[in-house]
Amino acid sequence: MKCKRCRKAAAAVDLPSHHSAFCPGCFFVFFRRQVEEGIRKFSLLEPHDRVLVCVSGGKDSLVLWDILMELGYETEGLYIDLGIDGYSDRSAEKVAAFAAARGKEPIVVDLRREGVPIPEAAKRSRKEECSVCGTVKRYFFNRVAASRGFTVVATGHNLDDESARLLGNVLHWHGDHLERQHPLLPGEGDGLVRKVKPLWRVSEMETAAYGFLKGIDYLTEECPMSEDATSLVYKEALSLLEEKMPGTRSRFYMGFLTKKGTFLNFLTSAGVDGAPLSPAEHSGKCAVCGAPTYAETCGFCRLKEKVGRGTVR
Amino acid sequence: MILVRMPQRKKELTVPGPKRVMDILAAAGVRPTTVLVTQGTRLLTKDQRVEDGETVDIISVVSGG
Repeated sequence: MKCKRCRKAAAAVDLPSHHSAFCPGCFFVFFRRQVEEGIRKFSLLEPHDRVLVCVSGGKDSLVLWDILMELGYETEGLYIDLGIDGYSDRSAEKVAAFAAARGKEPIVVDLRREGVPIPEAAKRSRKEECSVCGTVKRYFFNRVAASRGFTVVATGHNLDDESARLLGNVLHWHGDHLERQHPLLPGEGDGLVRKVKPLWRVSEMETAAYGFLKGIDYLTEECPMSEDATSLVYKEALSLLEEKMPGTRSRFYMGFLTKKGTFLNFLTSAGVDGAPLSPAEHSGKCAVCGAPTYAETCGFCRLKEKVGRGTVR
Repeated sequence: MILVRMPQRKKELTVPGPKRVMDILAAAGVRPTTVLVTQGTRLLTKDQRVEDGETVDIISVVSGG
């Protein structure tokens, strides 16, 4: 198979969803344009932004950091050590090596030191690991960004992640989650930093191919805590559809973003969830730590309180 | 035979060669949209032919959580 762009070199990446196939050089051009278009479409980033890139050592976050640097953004990486024996050590090594090769040093938050290593925090709070992990990460993403003067937090969520999340939200009619599902979550003046997902247009396979062809040494090992994650079931279902009908995933998510207003108005008028879908606004600061929150106490402090009270069974 | 390695599953299998990548994936029971197929530093497209005696790696690209 020849590259459909230069028509000279042999293709290395075939993309049925784009009716295309690219040699490595042309694939880099394609990928970069997809990310640039994703950023431009919703004004995710501005040239003067200081970007805090959340990196895990996996392909998505390292590719994100790599391409944002290539696009000329001022970036620093934030690595959160989840406190998972073995896995966290190996992912920390990948992040450190990636950063060092580019003259950078990641900012590191160690959850053992913070008293909330994920395996133990999940057991003590009797919550699912992925849920605890999400709460803790979101808290530190914002805290580190706000305290160190970053204007935006960027995460490596890709098209597969977002379409799987959308499928889950639709299947369960999570109106409030649908309302907030977007590549751009605006910040607010009093400590809530803008969050963006610049890889929302590219698939997991495209991101992995970019990382591989660029020689980015990412961790291919999956988080041992995520084996039973429901997002994997949604991804599997969408993969089946994608195989039979290439482009389905992209049409599903991009269609949602385009028609979101109409769709959510319909849900509201239909009374789904039994409550209006007005955007949630954070009412103030956490009574314990001062972080922006929708409740009296933020999710992280509520979790810490549960972890403190709980016992490991 | 073609040696097919799946490092994340800590699994290896052999299939008679030559075979196209898409047929190797079918033999391994893997969905083509969920993996990269590599040979050393090369990325293989699904229509590429792998010769008898060669080795390929199947790398899952799906991350959860």
